[in-house]
Amino acid sequence: MTVSRMQSGSPPVRNAAYQRLVAERNRFTVIMTVTFLVLYFLLPILAGYNKPLMATKVFGNVTFGYVFAFAEFAMGWIMAAIYVARARQFDRLAQEAQQ
Amino acid sequence: MTFLLAALIVAVTLVITFWAGRRNTSASDFYVAGGRISAPQNGIAIAGDYMSAASFLGITGLIALNGYDGFMYSVGWFIAYLTVLFIVAEPLRNLGKYTLADMLVYRLKDQRVRTYAAISTIVISAFYMIAQVVGAGALISLLSGGLLKASVAIPLVGVLMIIYVVVGGMLATTWVQIVKAVLLMLATIVMTLLILGHFGWSFSNLLGAAEAKNGADFLGAGLKYKNPIDLISLSLALVLGTAGLPHILVRFYTVPTAQDARKSVVWAMVLIGAFYVMTAFMGNAANVLVGKAAIETANKAGNMAAPLLAEALFGGKGTFGGELGLAFVTAVAFATILAVVAGLTIAASTSFTHDIYNGVIRKGQATGREEFRVARITTVAVGVVAILLGLLAQTQNVAFLVALAFALAASANLPVILFTLFWRRFNATGAIWGIVGGILTCLVLIALSPNIMGIDPADKTTGRHPIQAAPVFPLENPGIISIPAGFLFAALGTLVGAARRREDADEAFEEMKFRAYTGAGTDGTVAAHD
Repeated sequence: MTVSRMQSGSPPVRNAAYQRLVAERNRFTVIMTVTFLVLYFLLPILAGYNKPLMATKVFGNVTFGYVFAFAEFAMGWIMAAIYVARARQFDRLAQEAQQ
Repeated sequence: MTFLLAALIVAVTLVITFWAGRRNTSASDFYVAGGRISAPQNGIAIAGDYMSAASFLGITGLIALNGYDGFMYSVGWFIAYLTVLFIVAEPLRNLGKYTLADMLVYRLKDQRVRTYAAISTIVISAFYMIAQVVGAGALISLLSGGLLKASVAIPLVGVLMIIYVVVGGMLATTWVQIVKAVLLMLATIVMTLLILGHFGWSFSNLLGAAEAKNGADFLGAGLKYKNPIDLISLSLALVLGTAGLPHILVRFYTVPTAQDARKSVVWAMVLIGAFYVMTAFMGNAANVLVGKAAIETANKAGNMAAPLLAEALFGGKGTFGGELGLAFVTAVAFATILAVVAGLTIAASTSFTHDIYNGVIRKGQATGREEFRVARITTVAVGVVAILLGLLAQTQNVAFLVALAFALAASANLPVILFTLFWRRFNATGAIWGIVGGILTCLVLIALSPNIMGIDPADKTTGRHPIQAAPVFPLENPGIISIPAGFLFAALGTLVGAARRREDADEAFEEMKFRAYTGAGTDGTVAAHD
């Protein structure tokens, strides 16, 4: 087997930073994932079951459907930015966890 | 002119390939460019891998013909990257070396899993690849005005792709993807600016013109997707499937660290998002400026909407500008297909060589040199098989093959990835059941769906339905059933296999978890293990 292993044979060190990293990271991942899935699936659900709302014009000829779809793109970028900012903290904890 | 530009792009990519070929001396170079690609480069390459001809030509056409419903595709395709970013990119980089199987075996310590993960990779890549190859054939024959038949164009694309991969490996493939992504973004941005100029810099004006031409329905949902459940099923497959697509996963092994994997995804999201936002402009403008009738005359599925739009924007048919616009967009589409097919080929041949040849047949005893040699031979074989299957599938509807690849990836790979990362009790039996169960459920449902079954009207011999009977399963995309089924099979297999659970399983899980979360023992050490 060619998968690389940890250099030492001893079990990995478990310190407080590691416990914190696992707990915070899991919580963050679950919250972010659930949030984006719920927000995203609103689009196909509304498109399937509330067609009049999707076709309603919000400004000019731009319909609610287009506004919502563009908002999904903005949501994607914003959530990615939040994740990156938070991941920097996780990187620091990961460094400490390996001490 | 089209041929000149296409030839120029091919020449540039071949120069890159031979340059990369000289740096390509080990298996690690071949599979993952030695893990030395930078995050921005990898991000652009991911975008290049992802913005296939199906997106660029297909979605523009879908919007041009169906209005808003086409644009919903774009949203799902983009949002999928949040799943990749939040859940798979970093742990995958921390745990693996070349393939998905590396990660699963690292945790589950069972070589049987390697075989099944490799089969899943090859099956998913094959569906994706056939769709691209068939699309390439149809497109090139259409664009050359029937000069090059699909039966000539398909082998042509296949041979070029074999050269890229065999000679240049992952490094050349990455650069071909970067060149293609930059050209595609350039074409899209220029066209969007011209469109905005044409409509007084107002999206509202553009939609107004589309409404005036097609009626109010065009701006709302429902022109294409009549059944809401089908739409939700497709959305599920898109959003969850991307995180299991082999040619996207393999890209995380080309960067040195998990941080780079994360940065790559963010780079890709910026590019892919910007691109898909612009499809709303291009699709609607194609409808207004070219017209539904002209688009459908050129190609029923709407695949010619983007090239025809370029022709209209640059001065119209018969003018020098129009010809140039058409030629440029066509050449970019050609480069797109080549790059995507090369990316798929390398994912499939890496999996075969590393997992099946070295991992299973040679029990990990093959030297780097041997693996490298076999990888090149495998690539030729994969390429030839893709050409042959592409020729056989010539008349098939290609859009469903791509959607099927997403559904397969979401049903077979994602449950196993998630359980490996987060479920302590998960075991090898669970992984095998999950992969096999997910693939089989997906394939059976597809075979029973309106993609394969259905009654063609007697007057239109489209040959869309190989089985002439009413479909047993009503949905075009099986995701809503097959994805939960994949999770269920993985869970059931875990319970069945619990009796034979390895005694060091808990320890293996803890070790995997520590490494997945902290990256311990992975920083820059990928190359050092060869």
